[in-house]
Amino acid sequence: MRPAISLNGVTLVRRTQEELHYDLKRSVMNALRFRARKIKRATVITGLDVTIEHGEKVGVIGPNGSGKSTLLKLIAGVLQPTRGSVAVEGSLSPLIEIGVGFEPELTLVDNILFYGVLLGHDEAVVRAHVDAILDFAELTEIREQPTKTLSSGMSARLGFAIATEFRPDILLLDEVLAVGDERFRRKCAARIERFWDAHSTIVLVSHDLTNVARTCDRIIWLDGGRVRFDGRADVAVQRYLDTVPTSLSIRSGQELIALAAAAPNPVIVRGASRIDDDITIFLVRNGYRWRIAADGEYRRAAVTWEDVLVVSDDVIEQVPEGDAVIA
Amino acid sequence: MRPTSPRRFAELQRLAGLIQIAALRSLKVRYRGSAVGILWSFSNPLLMTLMYTVVFGSAFLQYFDHSIVRYLVYVFVGLSVVTFFLNATSEALLTIVTNGALLNKIALPPAVFPLASVAANLFQQLCTTFPVVFIISIVVTHDPVRVLLVPVVLAGFALLTTGFALALAALYVFFRDLSYIWGVGSFMLWMTSPLFYPAQVAPERVRVWFHVNPVGVELGALREVALGTGSLDWGLLGTALLTGIAACCAGGLVFARTRRGFMDLL
Repeated sequence: MRPAISLNGVTLVRRTQEELHYDLKRSVMNALRFRARKIKRATVITGLDVTIEHGEKVGVIGPNGSGKSTLLKLIAGVLQPTRGSVAVEGSLSPLIEIGVGFEPELTLVDNILFYGVLLGHDEAVVRAHVDAILDFAELTEIREQPTKTLSSGMSARLGFAIATEFRPDILLLDEVLAVGDERFRRKCAARIERFWDAHSTIVLVSHDLTNVARTCDRIIWLDGGRVRFDGRADVAVQRYLDTVPTSLSIRSGQELIALAAAAPNPVIVRGASRIDDDITIFLVRNGYRWRIAADGEYRRAAVTWEDVLVVSDDVIEQVPEGDAVIA
Repeated sequence: MRPTSPRRFAELQRLAGLIQIAALRSLKVRYRGSAVGILWSFSNPLLMTLMYTVVFGSAFLQYFDHSIVRYLVYVFVGLSVVTFFLNATSEALLTIVTNGALLNKIALPPAVFPLASVAANLFQQLCTTFPVVFIISIVVTHDPVRVLLVPVVLAGFALLTTGFALALAALYVFFRDLSYIWGVGSFMLWMTSPLFYPAQVAPERVRVWFHVNPVGVELGALREVALGTGSLDWGLLGTALLTGIAACCAGGLVFARTRRGFMDLL
């Protein structure tokens, strides 16, 4: 039996984001002046050789920009490798992303049908699943309403329900494991759990090291588009943590979450927030973001992590047990 | 048969299914379930025909045996296809970029989206103006050969539209100012096609362009089968059909050549 996923010498070269597109006008002017601009390219993935057997649960970890999401896109067939080959055996799930491609004017049912067919199922098959999808998303009563009337939480629920309804052989997960309020999150988690129990092949990209180590047998650690380590999960996490320096300059929130998730105890991180020109303290624990207001109260952070600008080396300190109120 | 044929067939089948559902989606959005909606698309060429007739009808009357009905029919036949061409191409132009998020999530042949735009607009015309063109051909020409050739010429026009739609949608990924440029370009095609004026009024030097402008070529062929009399101009029909096929192939080629670069820019 052939492996579920095999990547052979996969290299991907992409245009850099600096210059997303250009004008025809400018291009013509440049051509007239014999000043052809060279397109900037970067190698995102270099010589990747990965084989994943049927039923394997594989975590993918690594810092931002190491190529984790790109790897998923290559497996999903969204991106074609510049060199090398990607072979997949069995049906693939989508990369779960919430509500992308919903047509706001159409009814929920029409959107489900459209999405289902895009995912590669026959219209008749999708039609048979419509009730189950609406039922799971708890949106049956408003099935004939236009999708634009949904709140963002509702549309996230619908997206999750569609993406997980059709039992795929291979499930690709990019971080987002659960959506909605606490109760619905548990429901999502239970459904994901079922995939784990079934013999599905799972590739999970995550910054939540504790979770990856707990749920996956094997971890691929990517760094700069290359495999830095590929093997047992606990070994991978230990080695990865060893490389995380104690003095950091953190530029993105994702890095912060990764760091916090990796730490054995809750961590307080002090940063400058753009929201109110005040210094705000952020507490990260269990993947949730908490903001400590000036009055000392803990609140769920209503900030995006991109707001965190500066984190100096005295920032990370242990919090005494019981000091933080966490749900 | 080569061993790969069944697989290619399955791919084509999937492509057809995807185009169908995407075209259905855009039609549903446009009409939101109202049956009156589809008739609405009738009003555009109809109103424009009336407008041209009121403004220019008497000025060009001498070229139409002094019959206002002849001028009216002349304009309507032209407008029915040209509005289809312009609507479909300007709509298709945006589709790959606007569906970029979807293409980043699910592995889809990107050609689905421009092709669905053409299909949706074609369906709309098939329900409204095209049957009228067919009837006009019966009433005006009394010539069974001409009447039977109307669908063939319309198919040529659809191929031309498909070629433009594919090329424009692909190039728009790379050149985001193309939507403005195509706005000007399509207006130029509009004005340089003998649409609301008879070809004879244009100066000799300009008339050469009518044979170069692909829309003009198709338009000439359609009028030949819908409104023509006397012996059939087979040369014109052949040119029109070849133009359609050539445009479709060229558009497809542009699309296939640039397709690899799409994902870096979406």
